[in-house]
Amino acid sequence: MIVTWRIGLRIAVIIVVTVLLQVSFFSYLSLFGTTPNIIPLVAVSLGLLGGAMVGAVCGFILGLVLDSVLLATLGISSLTLLAVGYLSGRYREGTQISNTLMPPILIGTLTSAAAAAFSAFQLMLGVETQVSLLVLREILVQGLLAFLLAIPFYPLIRRVLRPAIVDDVVAGRQMRTPIKSGSNRPRRGLSRRRVPRVRRATGLSS
Amino acid sequence: MYRKQVRRRRAVLVLLIVLALVMISATFSQSSSGPFHSVQQGIASVFAPLEDGASRALKPARDLVNWVSETFNARGENSSLKTDVQKLRSKLARTQSALGENDQLKKLLGLDRQGTFADYKMVTTRVVGASPTVWYSTVTIDAGSGDGVAVNDPVVSPDGLIGRVTDTTHFTSKVTLITDSQSSASARVQPNGPQGVVEPEAGDPSTMLLDFIDKSEAIHEGQMVVTAGWTNGSLSSFYPPGIPIGEVKDTTVGQQETYQNVHITPYADMRDLDYVQVATQGPKRPGVGG
Repeated sequence: MIVTWRIGLRIAVIIVVTVLLQVSFFSYLSLFGTTPNIIPLVAVSLGLLGGAMVGAVCGFILGLVLDSVLLATLGISSLTLLAVGYLSGRYREGTQISNTLMPPILIGTLTSAAAAAFSAFQLMLGVETQVSLLVLREILVQGLLAFLLAIPFYPLIRRVLRPAIVDDVVAGRQMRTPIKSGSNRPRRGLSRRRVPRVRRATGLSS
Repeated sequence: MYRKQVRRRRAVLVLLIVLALVMISATFSQSSSGPFHSVQQGIASVFAPLEDGASRALKPARDLVNWVSETFNARGENSSLKTDVQKLRSKLARTQSALGENDQLKKLLGLDRQGTFADYKMVTTRVVGASPTVWYSTVTIDAGSGDGVAVNDPVVSPDGLIGRVTDTTHFTSKVTLITDSQSSASARVQPNGPQGVVEPEAGDPSTMLLDFIDKSEAIHEGQMVVTAGWTNGSLSSFYPPGIPIGEVKDTTVGQQETYQNVHITPYADMRDLDYVQVATQGPKRPGVGG
């Protein structure tokens, strides 16, 4: 992903909207006995679309904003989401994602991993009360819900960040400028301005 | 070039991890006026109006989804509620005669009826945000220090106790629910039952545990549990006495244990809080800062 200021702004809007949606909407729902959590879903999606650095930085900021809005213990969500964002980005950098089901499966798996890591942190920091086995159900069901929610959410995030995704930019160029034998000029009638411009990278590129 | 990029990437990653660890340790060691807490309160203040707007705008959608979910659950609940109605009818007859007797005795003793919150100023407010995990059972309310809300003020819903204020900004406050893994409250089984400590079961917001009840005490399903308002002169419970918490679901006794496990179902539905009341400016309780 090529992160320009404009794309950075779009990512910031995604982060703010995600946190607001989570604390004002999804946290009130009870599906299969648990609450859907779209925060890891978005961190993993950004990692899958932007690479390890984008995933890690966005995961960290998502956690920081969430903990601040809820006035919760700072750092735990940031650390967990940083890890899942980074891991999803590393996967994307090392593997070609060709199956459309692959992102939702990864998002579901990493959301469960994030929930498990979060629980582990809480246990390490000390929980004085009894811990119910329903925590395990919570971890698994959150993964399942994330898988289902990723089916509409991942393409939506991809669409918002489309101008920055290298694969999409290249594919868009190939569609608009078919290679003809003996000529490398663009097709007649196609404006040059319609070809997406790739701006100067600000350092966070993959 | 590639090696430089990898080095830079690693440096950013290490920096973020170190920052997260510093934030965790600072949150536990710092006072409420520390720099990290100030930053957190600043972000929370900026988000407060956005949260309020989003909560109002998304309420119809939230209610619609919950209505669908509740409709499925209602079929199963219907038959058990019919049985409950039969039991409650017979209880009602007994209660009505006891109420009449109670009124007469009060008149004889010259006592006026005083509500649990007679000495408090009640601030009614909306819940604008909720935590997504079972580990932090917290909600954000639309009233802060500017409305007179202070840390440790008890918070109730129309059904009963929901928790206490644990942090405030000028516009919003964080309420730690009684189902949070760090919460506990001294409680008493009604009528005239033993006193224990209500604690949550981490991971299960629909059940709480009443601990430190001797196994010789007879506790029955359906008995009401209220706050005890415990105090010993220099220390006291955060909550005044008499706030309903929940009712006894079942009890279990281990062979080697001194105490029995009394499971309670909280009256308030912590997942569906809309309007709540904060009891502010109440009488000073020894050992409870505010």
